[in-house]
Amino acid sequence: MTTTALRWRHALAMAAAAGVSMLTMTAAMAVDVTVWAWDTNFNGAAMKEAASRYAPSHPDVNIKVDDSMQQEDIRQKLQTQLLAGDTTGLPDIVLIQDDVAQKYLQSFPGAFVPLSDSIDMSAFAPYKVAAATHDGKSYSLPFDSGVTGLFYRADYLKDAGYEADALKDLTWDKFIQIGKDVKAKTGHNLIALDLNGSGLIRIMMQSAGAWYFNPDGSLNILDNKPLKAALETYAKIWQADIVKPASGWTEFTGAFTSGETAVALNGVWMTGTIKSQPDQAGKWGVAPIPKLEGVEGATGYSNEGGSSWYVLSSGAGKDAAVDFLKSIWATDVDFYQKILIGQGAFSTWLPASAGDAYKASDDFFGGQPVWANFSEWQAKIPSIDYGIYTAEVDSAVVAQLPTITQGGSVDDALKAINDQASQQMQ
Amino acid sequence: MFNLPHFVARSITYLLLSLAAFVSIFPFFWMVVGATNRSVDIGIGKATFGDQLFVNAANFFATVDAPRIFWNSAFIALVGTVLTLAVSSLAGYGFEMFRSKFRERIFTLMLLLLSIPFAALMVPLFVMISSFKLVGTVAAVVLPGIASIFIIFYFRQATKAFPGELRDAARVDGLNEWQIFFYIYLPTMRSTYAAAIIIVFMANWNNYLWPLIVLNKPEQKTATLVISSLTSSYTPDFGMILFGTILATLPTLIIFFLLQRRFVEGMLGAVK
Repeated sequence: MTTTALRWRHALAMAAAAGVSMLTMTAAMAVDVTVWAWDTNFNGAAMKEAASRYAPSHPDVNIKVDDSMQQEDIRQKLQTQLLAGDTTGLPDIVLIQDDVAQKYLQSFPGAFVPLSDSIDMSAFAPYKVAAATHDGKSYSLPFDSGVTGLFYRADYLKDAGYEADALKDLTWDKFIQIGKDVKAKTGHNLIALDLNGSGLIRIMMQSAGAWYFNPDGSLNILDNKPLKAALETYAKIWQADIVKPASGWTEFTGAFTSGETAVALNGVWMTGTIKSQPDQAGKWGVAPIPKLEGVEGATGYSNEGGSSWYVLSSGAGKDAAVDFLKSIWATDVDFYQKILIGQGAFSTWLPASAGDAYKASDDFFGGQPVWANFSEWQAKIPSIDYGIYTAEVDSAVVAQLPTITQGGSVDDALKAINDQASQQMQ
Repeated sequence: MFNLPHFVARSITYLLLSLAAFVSIFPFFWMVVGATNRSVDIGIGKATFGDQLFVNAANFFATVDAPRIFWNSAFIALVGTVLTLAVSSLAGYGFEMFRSKFRERIFTLMLLLLSIPFAALMVPLFVMISSFKLVGTVAAVVLPGIASIFIIFYFRQATKAFPGELRDAARVDGLNEWQIFFYIYLPTMRSTYAAAIIIVFMANWNNYLWPLIVLNKPEQKTATLVISSLTSSYTPDFGMILFGTILATLPTLIIFFLLQRRFVEGMLGAVK
């Protein structure tokens, strides 16, 4: 063999070796980031959109979204595997609803990565950051907002003699009065309520910056003025005979999508459901919710639901996961415009509201700049600490609702809630 | 001659039976009717047949990888049924046929274990399965159920009716204990097995919590898990979900109708 040929063979072998090592290097560097979320059309779709925006600049990161589970199932799996101390089956990123987050953060210290170390939390709605803060660190990348609004049928209200201006700086007493007038003049009940849920009570309580607990985590029921005012108001609404009783979610949403009731008072995520009836376009409007009168700190802004992304510290892809959340979910204004239009996912990352989609007016709501309004209200939501026993106190509250709506004493109800909740918290 | 007390008693019986029949049949009726309607119609309680069956079916097949999830379910249910029957029927037979000093005490202890709720066993069980490195496998789903106390109990009760003379005759003829089990006991107890197949297959097919905990990859999910997850969307398509529910109910119905006659015999403890 000639020297040249030998040289060529040598060079080829070197190149091949280099190629192989390049390949193995990329293989070794490629990292999988798994994500668990519920609801394919909402959370899952938003996460997939984020993943597709991250992919071109990070071909080495493979983001896999599993949105084939229910929220309860995700909780069950997380809980079992964290309790068992075996995290092999857990994902890198998981979606957790805000009001249960503290339970995980406090029950499983060290299980989640503190994201406030690497992401600027001041750019998110303060109440969302507060919900995921424990021992001075914030653990979530805040996702969708539950900023509340009073969705109303402008046509029904007009028939009853009310223009949109009448809904500015509304109090609950005025709200009830409007309900009576609407019922008298149009025959429609004002609102649908489900006695099996405490949503409205929670909305009223948070609008005054209060929750079921003291700062040290102990129960705050008996002397909780906003809670008492909320229960009294709730009873008054029922007693005014302006409520369509609903049992279950379908019946509840059916009440206002079918045109039976005049308002829906819920989180911003209800917008999609309301807009699902195109024949009602132009007939709806949105206003801030009513205020609790005579309660210190009462506002017309509150929150219902909402969830956020958490990174598990056991995941092999946790560093990539944090980088991914930071580069898309805490940076990309266009991304938020896209999921607002596509999924109706309303962001809690405040700079998102500078985008075009957030400024647009909506003909369905009579040309109102709906998203801009919600953005403005969102920044004013009082921050509260959901604590770790919200679910337990909720069920104690729900147990008392039928009694107080039939004229039972609210003080007795508070005492009963206090007793039941303290028993369950032991 | 007209007998009034008899007539009243009869009427009450029929009334109660009709009520019970209605309560048991209504969910099925609602499921079938719902599968032919739009989600909005189901929400307002429309209880008549609609024209959306094909739309719901198309949506279901577009949303869910139906062949895969049904195959996953079928595989788990079949493997689970075969192994459970093999282990539990042998145990039930053994408990009744062989005497030992502690037999009754062990059996009572086992029956007591039935009262422990699964939720309390779940975490330790998960630790065990994960120490065997089985998390995420079909074995992890199936193994914890194969020694079913209920099925062991059921086989032991049924075995009480198995004629001892038959076994003694087989022994005289020179069969060993395994041969007696396979050649004499198994064919004799066909009805008992048929009833047990229905019970175990249904339990495996419908099993929810445990597969949810130990299976982690989306491509491993069973039909029950996937169809129930469709309800978690903020605006669930109930028509599509009910169509999926019909499909998920079919296999257990088919197994039941195939083995129905034997099931009744089995439940009565008949030995032919």
